[in-house]
Amino acid sequence: MKRTLPLIITFVIGIIMVGEFFIPHWRYRALTGELLEWGIILSAGAFILGLINLIQVHVPTVVKRGEDWGYKVVLLGSLAVTLVVGFRDGTARLDPGMEVTFSYKWIFDFLYIPLSATMFALLAFYIASAGFRAFRARNAEATLLLLAAALVMFASVPLGEGMPIIGDYLVVFKDWILDVPNNAARRAIFIGAALGAISTGLRVILGLERSHLGGD
Amino acid sequence: MLDLLIRFQNMDRRWVFLGMALAIVVPMLLPFSMPFKVDKRVQDLYDKVEALEAGDAVYISADFDPGSRPELEPFYRAHLHHLFRQDVRIVMGTLWATAPPLVKPIFEEIAREYGKEYGKDWTFLGYIDGRELAIKSIGQSVRKTFPLDDRKNKTSELEVMKGLDAASDFDILTSISAGFPGTQAFVLQIQGQYNLQMASACTAVSAPDYIPYYQSGQLFGLSGGMPGSAQYEKLVFADWPTDKPLPRLPATAGMNVLSIGHMYIILLIFLGNLAFFLTRGSKEV
Repeated sequence: MKRTLPLIITFVIGIIMVGEFFIPHWRYRALTGELLEWGIILSAGAFILGLINLIQVHVPTVVKRGEDWGYKVVLLGSLAVTLVVGFRDGTARLDPGMEVTFSYKWIFDFLYIPLSATMFALLAFYIASAGFRAFRARNAEATLLLLAAALVMFASVPLGEGMPIIGDYLVVFKDWILDVPNNAARRAIFIGAALGAISTGLRVILGLERSHLGGD
Repeated sequence: MLDLLIRFQNMDRRWVFLGMALAIVVPMLLPFSMPFKVDKRVQDLYDKVEALEAGDAVYISADFDPGSRPELEPFYRAHLHHLFRQDVRIVMGTLWATAPPLVKPIFEEIAREYGKEYGKDWTFLGYIDGRELAIKSIGQSVRKTFPLDDRKNKTSELEVMKGLDAASDFDILTSISAGFPGTQAFVLQIQGQYNLQMASACTAVSAPDYIPYYQSGQLFGLSGGMPGSAQYEKLVFADWPTDKPLPRLPATAGMNVLSIGHMYIILLIFLGNLAFFLTRGSKEV
């Protein structure tokens, strides 16, 4: 029963949701809408599971002074502060009379944004270094990839497309690379992935794929 | 000479980083911006918005974070200017928890600039979790997906939502997307099913992924990365009234940085390969 019931639920819900594509009736849509709402609520509930998991994983390491325990203290401390401030701000939003001095917005604007932007900006430096050290025309395929990449990069910026005489041709060639070989490859990948998703979905609905239930 | 080339190939990566830093900082100080052309994908996006009439409705899904802000915020700003100028109703939600603190103040600022009234001309519905489930739900009913807006008003009672519920009730759906959940999930989950008129502004790295959707007509327009945002800025602010101060155009300003940065990377690849070929056979590097 422990396995049969989830399999029955998966089958029934799966069939109902697939049916939505073929039955455009408002009553049927109301039913699937209700199921979607349940799904969204369950998904939001996963945040709580994530929180519990984070604590379960990191607190024991801190207690035992395990590897990188200092970083974990920072992680758990940041989590606690953001959580408390977030709850406080949430309460303040419902009560306009309440004064907020150290808000969630401050954490977001002055800690999260600079840190996140810095992490992303570092990519430029690593790409430059990787391009210099690793991007070699060692064989025909690598040479083709290298030339295509350099051309698309060059023709995508004003300096390239504004080149006298060749600028217009560069743009046409860049568009051809993106529209023809790129699209051909992407479509093949998309269709392959879609067929894979359909077969996996069918296997889950029919109960042939049971890994989501745990165990085998 | 050979020895010099080998040393060049093995040079400290900090020199490469220093060069990259200069390639980014120096163009920022240039007092001019290089001219650039507008891509057909961006032009199509602009034309479709331009064809909207007063009272039409647009749903924007603003799904980006601070990391993708330099690429997508300029488009977001220009798009709001464009839509408010067209006097259309704007309903916005987000599927990214990191987006509301970024997008809400800008939405409020630009709405104020055009004298638009909250709840009547525009609304911000806030963040909803659930990824594809939320997108499916938006396809069926925006009111049910977001029962309350960001200011805790009942969405169904807002004047801006009059006659609007399902995603197909909107004249245009714009996905400003930095990844998942974003444009691709919208296309897969609801664009085809409800035949939505959908456009996308995405990061440069995602643009090649979405070009097939543009070619097939699933997206009527596509703005990729900072170049796409700069091109859209160029179109939107081309006929800006002379008596009003022109807003700052961050993507247009960033095109110099992009030009020099790209050139620097191409130069590094070229020099790296040149040294590789000249030293090949003489010594393994």
